[in-house]
Amino acid sequence: MTEQSASGAVLVVGGGISGLTAALEAAEVGNDVFLIEKNPYLGGRVAQLNQYFPKLCPPSCGLEINFKRLNDNRGIRVYTMTSVKSVSGSAGSYEVTCETAPRYVNSNCTCCGDCEEVCAEERDDDFNLGMGKTKAIYRPHEMSYPMKYVLDKDVCSADTLDKIKAACKYDAIDTDMETKTFTLNVGAVVWATGWNPYDPTKMDNLKYNESDAIITNMQMERLAASNGPTNGKILRPGDDKEPESFGFVQCAGSRDENHLEYCSYICCMATMKQITYIRERYPEAPIYVFYIDIRTPGKYEKFREKLMADPNTHFIKGKVADIIPETEGVTVVAENAVTGMKVQQKVDLCILATGMEPAIKSQAAGLGLDVDSNGFVVSDADKGMISAGCAKKAADVVTSAQSATAAALKAIQAAK
Amino acid sequence: MKVNPDLDFIRYMKSAGGDTLKKCYQCATCSVVCPLSTDDKPFPRKEMIWAQWGLKDKLLADPDIFLCHQCGDCSAYCPRGAKPGDVLGAIRAYAYTHYGFPSGLAKMVSSSKNLPLTIGLPALIVLVMWFISGGMRIPTAEAMSQYGFGHFFGHWDWRWLAKNVAFIDLIMVPAFGLAVYAAYRGVSTMWKAMMTQYNVSTVYRPSVNQFIEQFLWPSIKEIIVHTRFNKCGVNVNRVIGHLPLMLAFIALLFVTAYSAFVQDVLGIFYPSLHGPMSMMNPVKMLANVAAIAMIFGVGVLWSNRSAAEAEEGTSATYYDWFLIYEIMAVAVTGLGAELGRLVGVPVLAYFLYYLHLVSVLMLFLYMPYTKFAHLVYRTFAMAFEKYRESEFVGK
Repeated sequence: MTEQSASGAVLVVGGGISGLTAALEAAEVGNDVFLIEKNPYLGGRVAQLNQYFPKLCPPSCGLEINFKRLNDNRGIRVYTMTSVKSVSGSAGSYEVTCETAPRYVNSNCTCCGDCEEVCAEERDDDFNLGMGKTKAIYRPHEMSYPMKYVLDKDVCSADTLDKIKAACKYDAIDTDMETKTFTLNVGAVVWATGWNPYDPTKMDNLKYNESDAIITNMQMERLAASNGPTNGKILRPGDDKEPESFGFVQCAGSRDENHLEYCSYICCMATMKQITYIRERYPEAPIYVFYIDIRTPGKYEKFREKLMADPNTHFIKGKVADIIPETEGVTVVAENAVTGMKVQQKVDLCILATGMEPAIKSQAAGLGLDVDSNGFVVSDADKGMISAGCAKKAADVVTSAQSATAAALKAIQAAK
Repeated sequence: MKVNPDLDFIRYMKSAGGDTLKKCYQCATCSVVCPLSTDDKPFPRKEMIWAQWGLKDKLLADPDIFLCHQCGDCSAYCPRGAKPGDVLGAIRAYAYTHYGFPSGLAKMVSSSKNLPLTIGLPALIVLVMWFISGGMRIPTAEAMSQYGFGHFFGHWDWRWLAKNVAFIDLIMVPAFGLAVYAAYRGVSTMWKAMMTQYNVSTVYRPSVNQFIEQFLWPSIKEIIVHTRFNKCGVNVNRVIGHLPLMLAFIALLFVTAYSAFVQDVLGIFYPSLHGPMSMMNPVKMLANVAAIAMIFGVGVLWSNRSAAEAEEGTSATYYDWFLIYEIMAVAVTGLGAELGRLVGVPVLAYFLYYLHLVSVLMLFLYMPYTKFAHLVYRTFAMAFEKYRESEFVGK
């Protein structure tokens, strides 16, 4: 199947905050836009956050406005569960082959949830970063857009599939759906492929796999989110205990030649934001933040000053280089570079401030993209290959939205 | 704090394998991953910043630089590739040169530029002594099988002291004496500097016996059983090399002392004790085992170091390789000379014996200035750490 399009069409790869912004900006000035997204929902990493900067809003706030703009615009076609397989052509006329994985649920779905009740099998909840399970037929999260269920057919028995089909009053289940390949003819491509949290198991000294009391900062977002696995209570995974003390391990994998050699930009502010989550729930609990340098890019100095004034929040200059799992919690070990003494701090919950790895890193070369040594996509505006958001560099939401608008402008010019 | 950086020191560090030190951003990962670093005085983060600032006086009075056994964990985990392990090695090399006496000799030995002189000087000393002795001729195979190398420097009939022994003593005793004096001088200067740096005030002085019993001997025991070496988990391969090497040195020290006593003291009364020992003599067997252990040990260290340089990017330095080559030379020439004697090729045996004397002289003479100096400086740094914690010191 080939989707033809008038010249000047723009393909936006990635439906997170950057891709949504770029697609809307390009479409709202009259260009045809294709927006493809690998996940079954739009919103990307922002959708997984509890709150986000600059105003500490819940993600529903910003995403909802964008979804409304999307609904109102006839120039954008959205494909979820879709990824780019190959790109050929040159500036102004690219032929992009895409592949859509079967959702097994068609547009009749009303999200009534009857299918979920009859489904016996479960799958790991990747939206909640592996904390908890969902049914094999599931809605990715409660405000997922498009509002449709997804079926993980591989984990279901034939019996379950029959039950699910029978339970659906709207004839929305289609277990015969197949992978669909199609090509798009576009003038320019915006790569807004975003980021993945750096794999914490790669830091063998931080023992992520050896204790339930060690989580990542993205898991912390899910624990704090009211639609998360604990309904917004911050509890220790494994035993669901209320932690009495917290330790943040900054630069877990970032600014490190053995892992990510760059500063991931967001982790210091993410930690400070998460300190506010903890303080809302545990006003007095001691919090220890181990850092190399605290960086507050943007306009957040006052925010930092306020947090550092808290007598129960301790900032220790020294990177955590060893974590010892205990029966209850963990002991984090660092050298306090100010006092010159080693610190062995026992905490109930330890949060690794892991950084951002460009999600397209491993596929970029195959797609003919120009990437830097860290896997970030380097824009080539003349060729109409433009990167935006965290595909371009590690960035926060504000910076990503700015770079997405800039990318849209370049794409419009290149696609003409 | 007023900081007076010493640019020459920083330049030296760059040349001695510590060129990565400026990359350090003080995250202190190294101090945590180091298996030898203590809670109250961790290293090597503080050494890295002192070195960056050129605060060499602080480094020279820092026992921690000697407590490091360079397992390389710090360099492996360093997020910046600053290689703290290599930097500490370079600081140790600097310390041996700094504390070396006479400083001219110490400086000569520290630089690869002076290698011709470093080898040439002992080679000339032995050659001149050989010439003066009048023994400089190749013996017949029969003479060699009877006397071994006992007539290398010729022979006289004065029964109280063999000519050969006299000449060997003339060469080795002053060299050994100088080395012992230089080591004593260096260690005591270092000790004083450490006392000042750590503000250690002695409440009452330990006697020599107390000092040995409470501080020195426990340190030596730790060294012999490789306690600290073994704490460096990744060091198993290096222990396999270092332990036989160290035991070989101890065994050969014993063999030398035994043979000097038997030949040069008892030999005065029982002339039959002169000449080469039987191969079946247990002491000779020990000597041969030690020689093989020495070659094995230094060979393991050689290949470990090559591997570390190839795989982990450890810096190749003159300081490290000089000692490896030197010990290898001592062992190979010694064993080679013995084999030459046993198979009855006097030219080869004498030539190798000459080289053996030269390499042994180098080992003795340069001990306090080369990496070999670790055997005194590290021992005393370990003793200092025990002393610092002891009751002799005001808290």
